[in-house]
Amino acid sequence: MIKKAVILAAGEGKRLKPYTETMPKVMIPVANKPIVEYVIDSVFKSGIEEIILIVGYRKETVMEYLREKENITYVTQDKQLGTAHALLYARDYIDEPFIILAGDNIIDDKSVSRLIHSESKFSLMIKEHPLPSKYGVVFLKDNKVERIVEKPLEIESKFISTGIYKFPPMIFDEIEKLTSHGIYDLTSVLQKLISQGIEVDTIVAERWMDIVYPWDILYVNGEMIHDISSSISGSIEKNVTLKGNVSIGRDSRVYAGSYIQGPVVIGEGCEIGPNVCIYPSTVIGDNVVVNSFSEIRNSVIMDEVHIGSNASISNSVIGKGSIINSHFSIISGKAKMEVEGEFKELENIGAIIGEDCDISSHVAIEPGRIIGRRCSIDSFKRVIKDIPSEMKVM
Amino acid sequence: MCGIFGYTGFRNARNVILDCLKKLDYRGYDSAGIGVINKDELKIFKEIGELGLLEKKLPPIDVNIGIGHTRWATHGEVSIKNAHPQVSCNGDIAVVHNGIIENFKKLKEELEEKGHRFISQTDTEVIVHLIEESYKDSLKDAVFSMIKKIKGSYALAVLSTSEPDIIVGARQESPLVVGIGDNENFLTSDITALLKYTNRVIYLEDGEICVLSKNSVDIFNWNGKKIEKEIHIVDWNVEAAEKGGFPHFMLKEIYEQPHSLHQTLRGRISEIERSISFEDKVESLLDSYPKVVSIVACGTSFYAGMIGKYMIEQLSGIPTFLELASEYRYFGVRDKTSLVVAITQSGETADTLGALREAKNSGCNTMVITNVIGSTATRIADAFILTRSGPEIGVAATKTFTSQIVVLFLLALKLSRKTINPDELSRYLSHLRELPRNVRMVLERSEEILKVAEKIKDSKSVFFIGRGVNYPLSLEGALKLKEISYIHAEGFPAGELKHGPFALLTEKTPVIAIVTMDKTYDKMIANIGEVKARHSPVIAIANEKDSEIEKYADYVIRFPSDSNILSCIPIAVILQLLAYHTANLRGCEIDKPRNLAKSVTVE
Repeated sequence: MIKKAVILAAGEGKRLKPYTETMPKVMIPVANKPIVEYVIDSVFKSGIEEIILIVGYRKETVMEYLREKENITYVTQDKQLGTAHALLYARDYIDEPFIILAGDNIIDDKSVSRLIHSESKFSLMIKEHPLPSKYGVVFLKDNKVERIVEKPLEIESKFISTGIYKFPPMIFDEIEKLTSHGIYDLTSVLQKLISQGIEVDTIVAERWMDIVYPWDILYVNGEMIHDISSSISGSIEKNVTLKGNVSIGRDSRVYAGSYIQGPVVIGEGCEIGPNVCIYPSTVIGDNVVVNSFSEIRNSVIMDEVHIGSNASISNSVIGKGSIINSHFSIISGKAKMEVEGEFKELENIGAIIGEDCDISSHVAIEPGRIIGRRCSIDSFKRVIKDIPSEMKVM
Repeated sequence: MCGIFGYTGFRNARNVILDCLKKLDYRGYDSAGIGVINKDELKIFKEIGELGLLEKKLPPIDVNIGIGHTRWATHGEVSIKNAHPQVSCNGDIAVVHNGIIENFKKLKEELEEKGHRFISQTDTEVIVHLIEESYKDSLKDAVFSMIKKIKGSYALAVLSTSEPDIIVGARQESPLVVGIGDNENFLTSDITALLKYTNRVIYLEDGEICVLSKNSVDIFNWNGKKIEKEIHIVDWNVEAAEKGGFPHFMLKEIYEQPHSLHQTLRGRISEIERSISFEDKVESLLDSYPKVVSIVACGTSFYAGMIGKYMIEQLSGIPTFLELASEYRYFGVRDKTSLVVAITQSGETADTLGALREAKNSGCNTMVITNVIGSTATRIADAFILTRSGPEIGVAATKTFTSQIVVLFLLALKLSRKTINPDELSRYLSHLRELPRNVRMVLERSEEILKVAEKIKDSKSVFFIGRGVNYPLSLEGALKLKEISYIHAEGFPAGELKHGPFALLTEKTPVIAIVTMDKTYDKMIANIGEVKARHSPVIAIANEKDSEIEKYADYVIRFPSDSNILSCIPIAVILQLLAYHTANLRGCEIDKPRNLAKSVTVE
């Protein structure tokens, strides 16, 4: 029986800026839990007893968040060269077959359990994907991996690698050999093993989700909160309407006249209302304040955000700790987005706002604009361009 | 100050005791020992130095009952003889003890006359000989007879080969907690040591005795009457007492502050209702508007109190006196119209408890700010406010200090109903809400602070200066630096520098100046100028919005804040990181500084 899992949580996730300026990609929240916690929970639920968590970029945020989890050993990868290189850091802790997972992809526990119980010594978890070209594409022959190609130009297979494997401990020797030749990623290591004649079995994942760009945060949160059930731990004043599945955390208060239509998740210690409207699919983090007459639709509001009165927010992501004054309005619509030199056109998108911004009253933002971390925007401004982090709009 | 532990049950007692002593060694770590009963024979193992050395020395033995001790020397030097357990002449009885027996000299003489041979210089040894002297057929009765003769403070665990299935514990002014398991029971100085095994505990009161066996716990009061006690469920998690990947508890606890500050505020403030609320007992104490507030505390809690004094006086105008607990209990003026606020992280600090009892006996209203529910202080005071910081293991207080300040600020706001209007209150509440965020921004600058630590790490002496709340912060900054990095450091009110300390300034004495943009800003700049004129390097801790400071200081560390009072929280975190990085660069034992212990339960 396999007892140990290695989870890679060291990577920065540049395409998820501005959010990853202060936290690694694994800490991006989905329904108020960082992605890595989904992975850890699935792994323990599947019967694994010990996790070796490879941390690196902004590791303190990960360790601080997971402070109450048991049976996790932290190992630091100082330079993030690649997945195989990261795995080498776990070598001292492993002398039996094990599984390895990426800490930045949501995975369900049943799939992990099937991987653990698979008979083959080498297994790879794969997933059908509508856009395989961005991933390692897996070509199959009798359910075994025939070949795996990173971001191929021509696509003949719909399956991609999820980066989840089962390996025997001898893998470390192979990786060591290859890293000395400058090969640092697991896909190449696996391809090398296959070319040496080793058979790699495949298992298809049930639920596997990746967040690549900031707007994926909206989509993945929306998907994940469809599963939630209603639960009210906070206090709800009279004349509040709750429809559909709404979850409200401890010590949160919803004030009179508010209207919340699920699926909606509200974290702990929030203050919402009076007369606030929240529509599907919205996730609100911990310790958030939303003042009266504001409306929020299909958005992700991270922890400690403060929203003034009469705000209108839709199809948007607002980063942790941002303070937004009254009469804020995000215009949602068709927009061309740019991240790290890549472009994407979206049909209906609001704004992507980084952590700890200060936005004064009566600010309006045009569709698809990305505002960096710690920006401050003066009253009555209309934002028509992306704003890099730590800028002042005066 | 020591840690004691007792175990009886189905597990290997040697292993359980060693495991739990590791969690208690913050209470003392100059020597350690364990005593177990193996085949009706008492076996004692002791070693000086850290616990690991004892562990190496211990043979694997299969035992199910035993007691353990980790020592912080008070009476008698650090030696194997003085380490606990202390044993009776016949070698049948063993005792571990935390506290001080005040009349031990007299008792020792009497016992020696009766023929008892003393081996150690400890006060503890009289306990075991007294038990031996009065032992007839019941260990419990012998312990009762012993505690009637001794004066002082104690938490102790006793083991005897005559009754090899029980451990007897007793408590007077030193913490002692019984842990209840299934087919096993525990006795400990601190709950964190047993969280791995159970979360069900009974807090012993002064004068009570407990008798533990594998499957029973009996508690007796001072008169020997058996009593029923409430079993408390502790909701702290085990992992909360583990390092979780961080190299030191101190760093882990520094990083926990955005979370612990949220916990301190949670449910107590409402921005939309514009209100602050505490538990009913606290509310009713504050309703009877005090004429005077006296704050009593020791160490870092004292500096938090000093900041509290500025806050209460500035916001409410109520005169606030600040007293060191060890002085107040003997010399303080106890006015019945005053509200006495004691601050103690552990709720067990002996001097603070003494002061609290004195105040209560004099008819004052008393309140305590503490981190530990069920601690002695919470049971003495009329009302208590929990800081809710979670367990703090690092000897240098960090997250509990910032939470204490926040609680004091809430108190100050509560006492200011007549002096501040709702709009001002609303502004203060939003500043409070921003605190976790401000702290997070400081943590993101840890690398920059590390660079400044490189500049001061080889200094012989470092000065900290500030005005207003930044004066007690200077004292705290200096305390943090000296306690973990062993660099001599002092804090001064910036205006006092020229009245003496100036004489000590050289070009090798870094001066750390805390500068906020309040009415003393120009004065601070002038003070920095005076320091620069003596060629001392100046490190300024300044607001992000301060665009002038670079002209005057050699290095600048920035903090975000819109409040000139609550800026003390992000600044405190900068000072903690500065001390931490400096100590780390110097290779110091950060979580266990020499000669210091976490909660000081001796006077």
